[in-house]
Amino acid sequence: MSYGFVESVVFALLTIGIIGAAAGIVLLNRITGAALLMAFTFLCMAGMFVLLGAETIAAFQVLIYVGAITVLILYGVMFTPQRDRAYGLFFQKQTPLAALFVAPIAIFVALYATTFRDAPTAGAKGSDLVPLATSVFRDYAFPFEVASVLLLAAMIGAIVLVKRDEDE
Amino acid sequence: MSAIPLGAFIAVSAVLFFIGVAGVLVRRNAVVILMCVELMLNATNLALVAFSRRAGIADERGSVFVVFIFVVAAAEVAVGLAIVLASYRNRPTVDVDELHSMKG
Repeated sequence: MSYGFVESVVFALLTIGIIGAAAGIVLLNRITGAALLMAFTFLCMAGMFVLLGAETIAAFQVLIYVGAITVLILYGVMFTPQRDRAYGLFFQKQTPLAALFVAPIAIFVALYATTFRDAPTAGAKGSDLVPLATSVFRDYAFPFEVASVLLLAAMIGAIVLVKRDEDE
Repeated sequence: MSAIPLGAFIAVSAVLFFIGVAGVLVRRNAVVILMCVELMLNATNLALVAFSRRAGIADERGSVFVVFIFVVAAAEVAVGLAIVLASYRNRPTVDVDELHSMKG
């Protein structure tokens, strides 16, 4: 078995995992199951990043999305009631009309996606850690600092929003 | 060159993005809507990384944007869940159809 064949099989499995789990999030009525499917989608996406040769981004993906964001969402699921409810817009009589409008756009997007080709010159090779670190800490050092301020503001905002008043 | 063309990654990214859009439009639970927003952000990440690795640029410009999207996504989900929990404390529902007190 050649390396290219294995790569294609892995890509196909990851694609099935991503699309299937994402469809499950939208279609499933159990919110806990949807949250776990979201974690699975993020894990498959990390595999996609490894396939593209971006190992550092894949590590961040596992740490931040599969670790932190899934836990946060599960906390949100824990604190809110889970009530079965019919979908807002599914299976109504406008569905054929909607399909008529959506199908041309879907065909256009599918055809347009296949027009992207790899650059003729060999792109980035090897690990992406060194060029990524060079870019973040030299060329994008100021946005990096702004991002830290954004995280601090978000943390303070989240604490203030969910804090109970003492005199209640 | 790699066995998988760049277009395949972009197609997966587009499909995942539209699944996220459909989820935001169709689901009425605020927590599930947050999950679908995360799906859309992740689809964008895939497109950015694919272009960054395959476009033949020497530096990792696209991956830098992905790092900043990670930061913004973490901030967004923290503040979003805080808003959902604060609104749930005032009115015991997370159904976005029933949260219409600010509607004109």
